[in-house]
Amino acid sequence: MPAAGRTARGLERPPQNPARKREEERTAQTGQSRKGRRRRRIQHAVFSLGNGLDMPLFVFIMVLLAIGLVMLFSASYANSYYYEDNSYHYITRQGAFALFGIAAMLLISTFDYHRFHQLAMPIAVISIVLLLMVLLFGRVLKIKSIAPAEGVATRWLQLGPLGFQPSEVAKFALIVVFAHMISLYADKMGTFRYGVLPFVGVLGLFAALVFLENHMSGTLIILALGAILMFVGGTKPRWFVLGGALLAVLLVGYLVFGGKDDSGEGGVYQMDRIAGWLDPFGDKSGSADTWQIKQSLYAIGSGGLLGVGLGQSRQKYLYLPKPQNDFIFAIVCEELGMVGALVIMLLFALLIWRGVYISLHAKDRFGVILGLGLTFQVGLQAVLNICVVTNTIPNTGISLPFFSSGGTALLMLLGQMGILLNISRSSNVEKT
Amino acid sequence: MAKGTTEKIRRKAIALTAALVIGGFGAAAGSLFHWQILRGDEMRAEAMEQSLVTTSLPSMRGTIYDATGTKVLAQSASVWTVVLEPAYIAEDEALRRTVASGLSQILGLDEAELYEMTGEKGSYYNIIQRKVETDVRDRINQFKKEHDITSGIRLIDDYKRYYPYGTVASNILGFTGSENTGLEGLELYYDSELSGSAGRLISAKNALGTDMPFEYEQIVEAEDGHDLVLTIDETVQSILEKYLAIGIEKFQVKNGAVAVMMDVKTGGIVGLATNPNYDPNDPFAILDEKTAKAIEALPQDQQAEAEVAALQNQWRNKGVSDTYYPGSVYKMCVGSMGIEEGVITETSQFTCTGGVKLDGVKDTINCWQTVGHGTTTFREGLCNSCNPWFMHIGSLLGGEAFCRYREAFGMTDKTGIDLPGESYSIYHNFDEMRPVDLAVESFGQNFSITPIQMVTACAAVANGGYLVRPHVVDRIVDSDGNIVKTADTSYRRQVISEETSQLMADIMQQNTYSGTAKGGYVSGYRISGKTGTSEKVAQHAADPTKPMEYIASYCGFAPAEDPQYALLVFFDEPDRENNGGVYGGNAVAGPIFSAIMQEALPYLGIEVKYSEEEYGQLDMVTPSVVGMTIGEAQAKLQEDGLFFDVVGDGDDWDNKVIEQIPESGSQVPKEGFVILYTQGYDIDNALVEVPDFFGLDKVNASYLAAVSKLQVSINGVQDEGALAMLQNIEPGSKVKKGTVITLTFANNETTEAFANIAE
Repeated sequence: MPAAGRTARGLERPPQNPARKREEERTAQTGQSRKGRRRRRIQHAVFSLGNGLDMPLFVFIMVLLAIGLVMLFSASYANSYYYEDNSYHYITRQGAFALFGIAAMLLISTFDYHRFHQLAMPIAVISIVLLLMVLLFGRVLKIKSIAPAEGVATRWLQLGPLGFQPSEVAKFALIVVFAHMISLYADKMGTFRYGVLPFVGVLGLFAALVFLENHMSGTLIILALGAILMFVGGTKPRWFVLGGALLAVLLVGYLVFGGKDDSGEGGVYQMDRIAGWLDPFGDKSGSADTWQIKQSLYAIGSGGLLGVGLGQSRQKYLYLPKPQNDFIFAIVCEELGMVGALVIMLLFALLIWRGVYISLHAKDRFGVILGLGLTFQVGLQAVLNICVVTNTIPNTGISLPFFSSGGTALLMLLGQMGILLNISRSSNVEKT
Repeated sequence: MAKGTTEKIRRKAIALTAALVIGGFGAAAGSLFHWQILRGDEMRAEAMEQSLVTTSLPSMRGTIYDATGTKVLAQSASVWTVVLEPAYIAEDEALRRTVASGLSQILGLDEAELYEMTGEKGSYYNIIQRKVETDVRDRINQFKKEHDITSGIRLIDDYKRYYPYGTVASNILGFTGSENTGLEGLELYYDSELSGSAGRLISAKNALGTDMPFEYEQIVEAEDGHDLVLTIDETVQSILEKYLAIGIEKFQVKNGAVAVMMDVKTGGIVGLATNPNYDPNDPFAILDEKTAKAIEALPQDQQAEAEVAALQNQWRNKGVSDTYYPGSVYKMCVGSMGIEEGVITETSQFTCTGGVKLDGVKDTINCWQTVGHGTTTFREGLCNSCNPWFMHIGSLLGGEAFCRYREAFGMTDKTGIDLPGESYSIYHNFDEMRPVDLAVESFGQNFSITPIQMVTACAAVANGGYLVRPHVVDRIVDSDGNIVKTADTSYRRQVISEETSQLMADIMQQNTYSGTAKGGYVSGYRISGKTGTSEKVAQHAADPTKPMEYIASYCGFAPAEDPQYALLVFFDEPDRENNGGVYGGNAVAGPIFSAIMQEALPYLGIEVKYSEEEYGQLDMVTPSVVGMTIGEAQAKLQEDGLFFDVVGDGDDWDNKVIEQIPESGSQVPKEGFVILYTQGYDIDNALVEVPDFFGLDKVNASYLAAVSKLQVSINGVQDEGALAMLQNIEPGSKVKKGTVITLTFANNETTEAFANIAE
């Protein structure tokens, strides 16, 4: 920790922010330095809690987490009661993971992110091993206790008491590896050999493994994240046009011909989701995914402008399947109304803005890309989730960060936020 | 190491962030606006609808009372539906076993099946038995309590229909189905009035259908159904049914029978008995044993079909749903038309030569008396039931007037009686009516009407010419006792004048007294009657290998001087091969008519007025001698001109009389006897078997009775040639010596049979 503090120190550095510079000059000129200095001392005390940690980001995280926990409790109440015989089933688990996650986040925020240079490859290898384990246990050996299947997808790994999605690990691994590679090839990103080939190789491997889990949303997020990081990192835009065209062809091919599981139902499955998206109250509304969308819209619609009130949702009474998971935002909309939903979207936007802001002020390329990757991961998930729940895009299984039930995922999320906070400690962001 | 940020990276990152946040959240916000604001109400309504569950609260079906307003003919009582909720017990193996064995014992169901049922995890509502009564409900509740079962078995309130008088008036009352909806009869016709409106309990439920913890509950109370008070009098109805059953057995009637009694002034049906009938408490059982046996004898594959046909037949109200040729009974209407239209008078003359030959018709249309009736007045013609006389009236009237009156008498319309399934009549329209049609319709053949139409027309002849509205419900009363609706007793139109009506009543009374309708004579009442023997021509034409079948009917009203009640008795196909050859209206329907009137009129409060002649033959009232010594009793009876006999120890005239037959106050024939019973008499010695008086004349009947130490009271036709047709106590039953058997006599001559015309 002390070592990290030394290398990631920004305190002795002269202020780089032009606004700050102007302000200081003005202070010197006008001689109102005493009052100004006192204000700055207070600001410093508050904003640099924990030695340079970015306070706004930390606050946004904590506020979202707090709202998320409250909403999880509300949304999961009925399901907990009816299926687990205990109304507090989900909230106790999630709350425990949240406390543990906050501790982990603060701890990781003191862990110098530069060490991920060395950890990039091990993380990537572990991630690939985990993905392969899912495929091995889920697809080949079909051991349900280790790799349980959900419909046609097999994306969970249950190792003892620890249940998680290796695709989540893969997303993180991809961000770390790409940040590492982009900072390494910073000057050669414009070339095909360095700027495209290795990235496509890594991205293709991760995407393919996740795709083989039949995990559509995970695949799309990994592809999107990879593309965003490459684009920001300096890969020539023409490659994205080419890659996009290729992917579009693959996607159409998949939707029409492929995506089937062993019993040959996969293709229909994805098309059903699109049909359900286009007409949530139509013929397909009996199928599980469309049913979920329909009930989600009932919930959202019931909320109206101001909502039915916290805890007053009806749709959570077993009508909306698993309201504590991917569709928790529907219950938010029902209970808190459009106003509450917009506030939460605003909070996510602030979080993304602050994450991007911090990343762009990181003092090296690795920090920039790593921070942007982590921020965009959260941002993408939030946007896609909310768009799914509101039927803006077809249903894919994406959870809402800070809200959806899932202890391990929350723990990983908060850990990643810890890395972002660590970047903030050493970035050139105004701390006072 | 590369520099942190470049301007390029900054621009790209900000552009991407803006695209993600503004594009993504903007689109989502747009969706929210669409679903929450624009379509919010719609979504809310849909969500409410799927989460609100309506439970129906049954309403109590109204009671049906007879005309006295005190006798309950149909009533609902609370019962329960036993519902299994397997979802709550499916996981508990031991509980499943307990529930299965407990319920199988209480309800008598198969335990293995019940056990299987308790394992259906996804099932929340499984009706295992309907309409269990209070005792079973108590046992189930006790069982739940004993085993501490809180969920899994539910008892839901319901009602069951009871018909306390069993088969009485079944074809009028109808019955209800499992959902308490009327399926036949009044239960069907007045279903909406009787059923009331079911209440609703609207409550919020989760997707599993169990209660949600938030309170939303709205109760719409069930509204109990209205009660019906009928014009049907249970006593009269029972009299009708009793004699109808006797008639069917006596005359071997093959195709059912009807007896309808109507209040001629209001159109209220006092009794409407039809046979076959059924027990509305168990409507799906075939009541007639002969039919049931015949079905059992059928091959397996035909049984179901035959059973359905038999059930529909026994549910059918023959009085309103079947049509028949009214036959000579219709002459009362045709005679009225002639008098009213002025084409004939009481004394108009016509010569019957035994038949009429019409142009274009091959065969002569015969009178039932083929030698002819000679020259007679109209009065004589009706009393002879002379067919040519009425063809003559028909031709004098002409088709136009005939059809006008026919319509006025209600022969072309439904009567509108408040019972389901009323049939339309079948007749020739004026424009397609040939002379031969007019001729045969003039004596009631070749057009079909329902019995209820005939009795309504008869009421019009009787009551001064007014066509009434037949009905069986007098008033509808709500559950608080307020009258909701009363029957419309106004008449529809006047068909004939009061004078014509009075004249017809007088002529018809003579017909019953000395004409062809003597079978309906009732001592002490002036009955106006008309017989009818209609041929089932169409049926015969369809299968000429079988003998012609007949419908024997008798229609009339009483008392002739102030008509109150009309009665139509109608037997469909008396089996003359097996009943001694009787099939005519006078012989078959007449005695039944007479017996019914004899029993029903005093009950209905019609005063008895004996003529001198009748008074002479009148029975007398038995004095009371119980408690006297034999000697005292003998003296007392002698005073009244009665004889006596003793059962028990009759040697000592000081013995006390402990019992007498006939009992004091009951009727005993003049110069009849009273049997005195003394202390310690032998019951076997006191009982005698009632002989079969059927077909005996008065002398022989009295002799047979005397041999058996019984006495007879004479009813019906008083002529020398009259034969006993009915006895009020079944042959073979045991009665005490001295019992008075009422015999109804009738002429066994068959009149007015109509010879088939080939065209």
